[in-house]
Amino acid sequence: MNEDLKKTLLNPIFKGNPITVLVLGICSSLAVTVQLKGALVMALSVIIVTGLSSLVVSLLRNSIPNRVRIIVQLVVVAMMVILVDQVLRAYAYSIDKQLSVYIGLIITNCIVMGRIEAFALGNKPIPSLLDGLANGAGYGMILVIVAFFRELLGSGTLLGFRVLPESYVPNNLVILPPMALIILGCIVWVQRSIQKDLQEK
Amino acid sequence: MNTNNNVYTIVYTTIVVVVAAAILAIAAMALKPKQDANIKAETISQMLTAAGFSDKDALAKLGNDQILAMYSGNIKTAFLIDKDGNKTGELETDVNDIELQDNLKVENKNIAAGNPSLPVYVFEKDGAEINVIPIYGAGLWGPIWGYIAFDANCSKIVGAYFDHESETPGLGAKIKDEAWFREEFVGKEVNFAKPDDSFDIIKGGAPKDDKSAVDAITGATMTCNGLDAALDTWFKAYMPFLQKKAGAAAADDDACCGGACGKECDGQCEHEHNHQEG
Repeated sequence: MNEDLKKTLLNPIFKGNPITVLVLGICSSLAVTVQLKGALVMALSVIIVTGLSSLVVSLLRNSIPNRVRIIVQLVVVAMMVILVDQVLRAYAYSIDKQLSVYIGLIITNCIVMGRIEAFALGNKPIPSLLDGLANGAGYGMILVIVAFFRELLGSGTLLGFRVLPESYVPNNLVILPPMALIILGCIVWVQRSIQKDLQEK
Repeated sequence: MNTNNNVYTIVYTTIVVVVAAAILAIAAMALKPKQDANIKAETISQMLTAAGFSDKDALAKLGNDQILAMYSGNIKTAFLIDKDGNKTGELETDVNDIELQDNLKVENKNIAAGNPSLPVYVFEKDGAEINVIPIYGAGLWGPIWGYIAFDANCSKIVGAYFDHESETPGLGAKIKDEAWFREEFVGKEVNFAKPDDSFDIIKGGAPKDDKSAVDAITGATMTCNGLDAALDTWFKAYMPFLQKKAGAAAADDDACCGGACGKECDGQCEHEHNHQEG
């Protein structure tokens, strides 16, 4: 059991990463990775939403009528997303203004519904919570890595603090979405050269 | 139990939805005061940016309290005017009880109906008055609004700030993001001779000698047209007030220059001029 939990927790971080292996949630990872701060907030929001939605759906799993299960799942996910948005609006207003469009789109983030359908509906609450949190973390980790390079090379700063010397000319290409896709491609490349069994023939 | 029973399904979904709605309603009510305070600080920081006291990005790093304090510390008076430009009421500017007339959507309707109650925020900067007024209108996808700062006699614009709800990032959103667009407004004037079309945002470039026009943003035609209409509508609503201010200032100048204080007046005019160019 303990081994299982460990696997549930670690698998989504690297071996079964939702972005690089399952290729879910690509659009938001392109959109919110211009600055590290936004990426961190987005990562945290997704972790909370995936974790809590999986937990709630898992608690309800035996009572949900099969025919309307997607609708019930959507109600739960949408509620969590609106709660996160409301809390951010109260406590991190400037970030919420930047991210509010994407926060709303967490509802449609395939990772959330994907994990509920694939895991939470058939597992006990605690493993489901961990699975949700871990998948959110796997998503968040990639987001933060991409944002790290984009903010460093695109603005010469990290979390708003200047890191590279003033003489560094910011590379505007890195700010644009295509560069996020290129960095993401590099991450996939690195991961697949480490983990040979992911390579397709 | 058969969970696929119709009655069960209907009752179950009803309960889930009602519970979710109740949780959201409680959360929204509990967080509302905090959210309103954030929105107020945001509105004030837009005004402070337009008036040139600080920069929006710098203000975003300050806490709400510091923003409110900066507002109270620099404002001289804030009041409401009617459609003829007459003062109808004061707005409280004390730091603990700042009143704003910030429901611009309602006022936009009132302007059309002919009974607006419009705010004027008078700041004091380096001994000179700065009059800040709001504008509001429709962009391409949603509302756009902003604050325009005029000099003491409302003859020249000294700053502007625009914001939007959902204009396209990289195109219409540039009215907010691009500093050059805001800076274009500095030194421009409201054209009192054409009350219905007192300001223009011109696609393809404004003529250099046109004092009431700025360049539009490439790829953001609809947003710029909306902003143009918003400026025309709100400048028209404020026109009696702006003209009164300009008229009073002109009268003052005449009296001063013709009288004993001619020497000082020259100095003052030059100072004013330099200030605006810089």
